[in-house]
Amino acid sequence: MLNYAFRRLLMLPVVMFALSLMIFALQMSLTPTQRLAAYAPSPDFLKGGQESIRMLIEQYGLNDPFYIQYGRWIGNILTGNLGWSETARQPVGTALASLLPATIELVFLAFFPGLLLAIYLGSRAGIYLNRWPDHLIRVFTILGWSFPVYVFGLLMLLVFYSALDWFPPGRLSQWAQAVVASPSFVRYTGANTVDALLNGNLSVFLDALRHLVAPVVTLIYVNLANMTRVMRTSMLETLRQDYVRTARAKGMPRRVVELHHARRNALLPVATIAGMELAYMMGGVVITETIFDYSGLGQFAAKSAANLDFPAILGFGLYFALVLVVLNLLVDLIYPLLDPRVKTK
Amino acid sequence: MKRTLTIVASLILGAAASSAIAETKNPGTFVFLWADDVQSFDPAYIANTPSSYGVLNVYSRLLNYKGSEISDFVPAISTEVPSLENGLIKQGPDGSVSYTFPIRKGVHTHKVGLKGAGGKISWEYYDGLSDAQKSSIEPGYGEITPDDVRYTFLRAILMGQSWMSNAITEVVTAGKYTDIAKWVEAEGGGAKIKEAKPEILRKVYDQLASQITVEGDKVTLKLPKSFPATLGVIALPFGASIVDREWVASVGGWDGSGDTWINYYRPELSADPLFAQENGSGPFMLEDWNRTERRITLKRFNSYFMGPASLERVVMRTVPEWTTRRLQLLSGDADFVTTPVEFLDELSKTDGIKVVDGLPKVFGRGLFFAWPIDDVDNPAIGSGKLDGAGIPPDFFADIDVRKGFNYAQNYDVLLKQVLLGKTVQSRGPTVRGIMGYRPDSPIYSYNPAKAAEHFKKAFGGKLWETGFTLTAYVQEGTPQGTAALSALQQGLQRINPKFKLKIQSLPWASISDKLNNRAKPASPLTYMGWGPDYSDPGGPLGAASYYLSPTGLVGGMVGQGYRDLMEEKFKPLLDEAWASNDPAVREPIYAKLQEMSYEYATTQFLWEDFGYIVTRSNIDGYVNNMILYGAWDFYTIKKAN
Repeated sequence: MLNYAFRRLLMLPVVMFALSLMIFALQMSLTPTQRLAAYAPSPDFLKGGQESIRMLIEQYGLNDPFYIQYGRWIGNILTGNLGWSETARQPVGTALASLLPATIELVFLAFFPGLLLAIYLGSRAGIYLNRWPDHLIRVFTILGWSFPVYVFGLLMLLVFYSALDWFPPGRLSQWAQAVVASPSFVRYTGANTVDALLNGNLSVFLDALRHLVAPVVTLIYVNLANMTRVMRTSMLETLRQDYVRTARAKGMPRRVVELHHARRNALLPVATIAGMELAYMMGGVVITETIFDYSGLGQFAAKSAANLDFPAILGFGLYFALVLVVLNLLVDLIYPLLDPRVKTK
Repeated sequence: MKRTLTIVASLILGAAASSAIAETKNPGTFVFLWADDVQSFDPAYIANTPSSYGVLNVYSRLLNYKGSEISDFVPAISTEVPSLENGLIKQGPDGSVSYTFPIRKGVHTHKVGLKGAGGKISWEYYDGLSDAQKSSIEPGYGEITPDDVRYTFLRAILMGQSWMSNAITEVVTAGKYTDIAKWVEAEGGGAKIKEAKPEILRKVYDQLASQITVEGDKVTLKLPKSFPATLGVIALPFGASIVDREWVASVGGWDGSGDTWINYYRPELSADPLFAQENGSGPFMLEDWNRTERRITLKRFNSYFMGPASLERVVMRTVPEWTTRRLQLLSGDADFVTTPVEFLDELSKTDGIKVVDGLPKVFGRGLFFAWPIDDVDNPAIGSGKLDGAGIPPDFFADIDVRKGFNYAQNYDVLLKQVLLGKTVQSRGPTVRGIMGYRPDSPIYSYNPAKAAEHFKKAFGGKLWETGFTLTAYVQEGTPQGTAALSALQQGLQRINPKFKLKIQSLPWASISDKLNNRAKPASPLTYMGWGPDYSDPGGPLGAASYYLSPTGLVGGMVGQGYRDLMEEKFKPLLDEAWASNDPAVREPIYAKLQEMSYEYATTQFLWEDFGYIVTRSNIDGYVNNMILYGAWDFYTIKKAN
């Protein structure tokens, strides 16, 4: 098992190298003036005229050949420097590190409850096939699936923020922000809920949680259908297996058969989908973050791409490659735990 | 039962909504939500308007613009506004002009240097210091002195980073050099600044330093000749915001030595020590800049030399999504939000919201003709010939084509329907408030007959027979620009169905690529907007120069043909106006230039931009200064509880 994991991890540098070459090649298909957009994102920045533009291109080496620019970048990477992001106005590594806790906080709070709910609803739907719980669950999840994130997010804001003032956008209220920014509040992780608990500040914890409710509910609901339907289908298939029929014939209680024997085996396809879903979410949930004014990796990646901020795009690409490889590996390692018949060779 | 539940739910919703609206949230704190971002807090680094919001509020300048006036100034760190009358502006027998600024005493920066037991200086916030601590402030460490003022100008010039700071170079050299690199090249026989010998660098420094001198509590700028926009540049936040020399040196910046300045020339943003920290003497201090969450918190400086601001804190946050900003404004979580123009009417009728509309801006929008155009693989000009399927590269060189285009535009419809009657048609490069603007100067109006007349004369009559196809470009996300091009497209089609204008929206990077850093522009017709950076129409950053100088901003983008026209017809007048200090001499010349821009149809001038602000109704005190592009000076803002 360890050998397998090690070999999979060895692929990581190769994937990252190939990815960086691809992104760099794409970047070089643009002219130096287009690539200058990272440093001069609006017409305002170019009011200095042609001479100023040429100086900026020279200053940032945008006229240099591919291999020199790539060599410069890879040289920095080897010294642990991912470059400077004009979008974040800080080193790419610092930007990724400071945004990651916010994304993890949001994604974990949305993903794991969402996964458990999907497993529960999917198995219920499978067990009660074509009966009212099945119909209800299908309608409920398909409704969520049909909602564009944008629409559902705005509805959440309109009802729970604008009308009720329960769940505001952003990550913290002004007063909580002041507490968090004060020297007495120690930032352990960058995740507001965790740090508030570690600092023993319940009111900040509750405020952070209050700000997380709307985006978390939105993410759970709009992503629920996919995993629920896979779970339902898998459950149906498993319930038709011979060993389930045998167990029932032997008089084993229905609940034990369904929940302990069938459901565990039905989880395999869900694990695959869940791994992909988690990887996707860890890449940033751009629309949710934008609607709820939640500064996370998604917003950063989208803005960097729009600004042609290539150090940030490359840095984000490497991060995402890492997430994909590691999560795929984790899913592979989870398979044998779910079904001992599956052996990793 | 259902009915009862519905009534109860409605009552809860209503109560919650009304309580949310009635409540004043965050008293004393002004929450400012926008879609922009600050690039840096270094006055010598920044060049764009959003970045000026930070520097404007944390630093002070020698002079400030007087309220919304763009040519009148009030004292700030300088105790007087120099003028010929008070003797602080003097003309030398050699044609030189000197400006003297008496420096106010007792102006402290946010942090001051306290001398410890071992002689070590520690920087502490001035607010809250005890009298005993104040007595241990090392002289000059956190008190603005004439030497700091001199250092500030030298630093802005020698850093050479921002074209707005380079305006100070132009002031000091009276326009001879546009930046320090040019100065070094001239002195060093053409050697690039990075390769210049140390003695050349020292020589340039000495020349520069000799023009900015300190005598007692006064600083004098000596210009080799007149530069009418001097005070306008000095009052801008860019480059001219005063920094404390000792503090800059203590955080790793230039120490003021004439031998080391080149090490600080054009730093990368990340290497600039003043990028994310400040020690100004302005009404607010930078308390926190969370660049990850794009949130800036400014805290009131209680010892501000003009008296403390009304607001305790200002929180500036970048919130890209309009709906989110809107909801935060409505709920009272935000006090100001940047707002798309189409929502103004709706918000002006909303309880608790205040809309201040129709604020003038010195910013003109237009469709810019370019010629000759790059004819290699350029889809914008189709076949590249006058055959109906394209245009020749010198299409807009024909004045009848330009005039035909200008008569084909329906300005009235644009002003009424797209701009909702909130602004006026642009009369040329100089807009309202700028010297040379006359409300009765000629302008184009929609006139299909006149347009047809010119089109029939263009290219010896061939254009009318063959027609044309060309692509015009507009930056994506600018619906007003797209509307202007659509109106022109329809106007042209009505005049002659063979006139085909295609419209393409592109990201800014692609538009810039079509106009900048190339031998010939690739866009024949582009929607853009430019405005001057001081009130004087001449000089490097003036409205007339931007548009009508062969070396101006627009000239650099729209092709050699345009530049040749400017060189031949406009430059002599621009030079004549700039050479004089007398407004009575200059005004008619700039007015003439304005008329000539009509006569030669240099550009399709569309409309003057306008500003507006949307705030909670308990916010007062906003001052719109056109030349600062409406930048928020939070010192005057009041938030009623």
